Amino acid sequence: MIRYILRRLLLMIPVAFLVTIGVFVLVRLSPADPVLAFSGEERDPAVLAAMREEFGLNQPLPVQYVAWVTHLAQGDLGRSFQTKQRVLEAIVERLPATAELGIAALLISVTVALVVGTASAIKRNSFVDLAASSVTLAGISFPSFFLGIVLILLFAYVIPGHIFPPGGYTPVSQDLSDNLRRLVLPAITLAAGSLAVNLRQVRSSLLDVFGHDYMRTARAKGLRERTVIARHALKNALIPVVTLIGIQVGAIIEGAFITETIFFWPGIGRLAVTAIPSGDYPVVQGVVLVSAFSFMFTTLLVDVLYAWLDPRISYETAAA
Amino acid sequence: MSGAAVPVVLRVPREDRAGAVAYFARRNPRMIIGGALVLAWIFLAIFAPIVAPYDPIKVNVSESLIPPSWTHLLGTDDLGRDVLSRVIWGSRVSLSVGVISVTIGFVVGVSLGLAAGYVGGVFDLLIMRVIDALLAFPALVLAIAITSALGPQIQNAMIAIGIVAIPAYARLTRGQVLAVRTREFIVAARTIGCSPLRIVMRHVFPSVTNALVVQATLATAFAILAEAALSFLGLGPQPPYPSWGQDINYSQRYLANLKWWMSVGPGVAIFSAVFAFNFLGDALRDALDPRLRRSG
Repeated sequence: MIRYILRRLLLMIPVAFLVTIGVFVLVRLSPADPVLAFSGEERDPAVLAAMREEFGLNQPLPVQYVAWVTHLAQGDLGRSFQTKQRVLEAIVERLPATAELGIAALLISVTVALVVGTASAIKRNSFVDLAASSVTLAGISFPSFFLGIVLILLFAYVIPGHIFPPGGYTPVSQDLSDNLRRLVLPAITLAAGSLAVNLRQVRSSLLDVFGHDYMRTARAKGLRERTVIARHALKNALIPVVTLIGIQVGAIIEGAFITETIFFWPGIGRLAVTAIPSGDYPVVQGVVLVSAFSFMFTTLLVDVLYAWLDPRISYETAAA
Repeated sequence: MSGAAVPVVLRVPREDRAGAVAYFARRNPRMIIGGALVLAWIFLAIFAPIVAPYDPIKVNVSESLIPPSWTHLLGTDDLGRDVLSRVIWGSRVSLSVGVISVTIGFVVGVSLGLAAGYVGGVFDLLIMRVIDALLAFPALVLAIAITSALGPQIQNAMIAIGIVAIPAYARLTRGQVLAVRTREFIVAARTIGCSPLRIVMRHVFPSVTNALVVQATLATAFAILAEAALSFLGLGPQPPYPSWGQDINYSQRYLANLKWWMSVGPGVAIFSAVFAFNFLGDALRDALDPRLRRSG
């Protein structure tokens, strides 16, 4: 197992290298002059030239890349053009809010998918199944930002009592109940897209498992249906779902950009979105890098978990 | 066993053909519904200047924030612009981004996949690492990064979504090429002296087309959704040009005043267009690839 993990980590190195090149090139493609963006009102050519020298922007691109990666390896993502705050510091400050929203969304998505997906597979072609299939298809096609707006309209303005606030964030340390109240709508919005995919996967995995001989054997042994489903069907059907949840982490990271914008949620997605119009590239670059690396590590974690959960997968096969 | 087999040509009577169409429609309602919706959106996009009842960007403050009525079926926004007309004109942006970005992804991805799968070796290794690097980014985050670097314009949104679509085509094509590369008909073509380009285009590519058609249909749904998301974040076409995502973002400031119609029109439009392509893609997958026929 350790050899497998090490091999996967080694395979990640060239990909990580290409990711850093991609992000570096993207920022350099930008038509805006970073020195002008950083200097603000300052337009004295001598000062601008000095800044260019200081930031190494007059060096050849490969030299600039090496300098940038060296800083990156030391955890230095540069400074925001606007606030002059260190980018890593800005990201770390906002990471708890994004993590809270992401974990809540993942919990909602997985729990509902498991419960409804199982019911849908057991009662195939029933009303529950039909409703679940419709919700799945609608969920995949429904834009999350529109769902967010519909939820705000209903729960913050139309339904009397204004059950949930339209947006904003209260840290857990300040007021737990207000934090949870503000979390509900964004978490549902973020969960909706991945819920549809997870639900479909749980249902089809279960239906696939139902056809196996060991299910008939389990029933023939006289086990209760509940035990058959929980101990034999779900246990085997959930293996592909684990992979899918890993993929959904990517969907949740990207969904956070939209959801945090709608609900004024002060996470890293909103940090990047507010940085875009002002041309604050170090911030955008930092958030994109953190998102890509988080996604890569989650994928690795899921692959390892998958190999560990399913004894049929040899480490050699999984690595190939 | 005696006597020679007599070839019999069974002609299908005309009424049976109509029956066959009806049978196909009964068996594939998703393809019919999805296809009809897609055609409807294409029609609206092409004939927007004729179909749209008003000018989508003409400001008419005296008619601002009118709720849905017979004169303005989906109401008007704060500048008095007809929401329905903006939705119809917005379909041009969404569908053109969908088609062009999917074409970019298709051409680049399929070419890379064909080349990587057929040439193999170090070339394959290099190409696939680049594809892995593209897959390391969550799709929309990559599209946001590319568009924010190139500048918020519709062309850049097309390029960004196109680049994001490349890995799916490349991997799909490469997988299919690897599966057929050692088959007898490829070996035979090589033996009679066909050039590699001819082998790839005439013998390998046709075996991938079914899967690619399905992928292209589903990718169009993603592209429409991604364009709407980029526009929502201000990275698509710029105001006053109508765009579904941008219009939903703009409508957000009137939610507290319960001017719901400003968001509902573009929201339902995005949903129905994405739904149509997803529905059609799912149906095509079932029809074209029996291995993927779902158990449900």
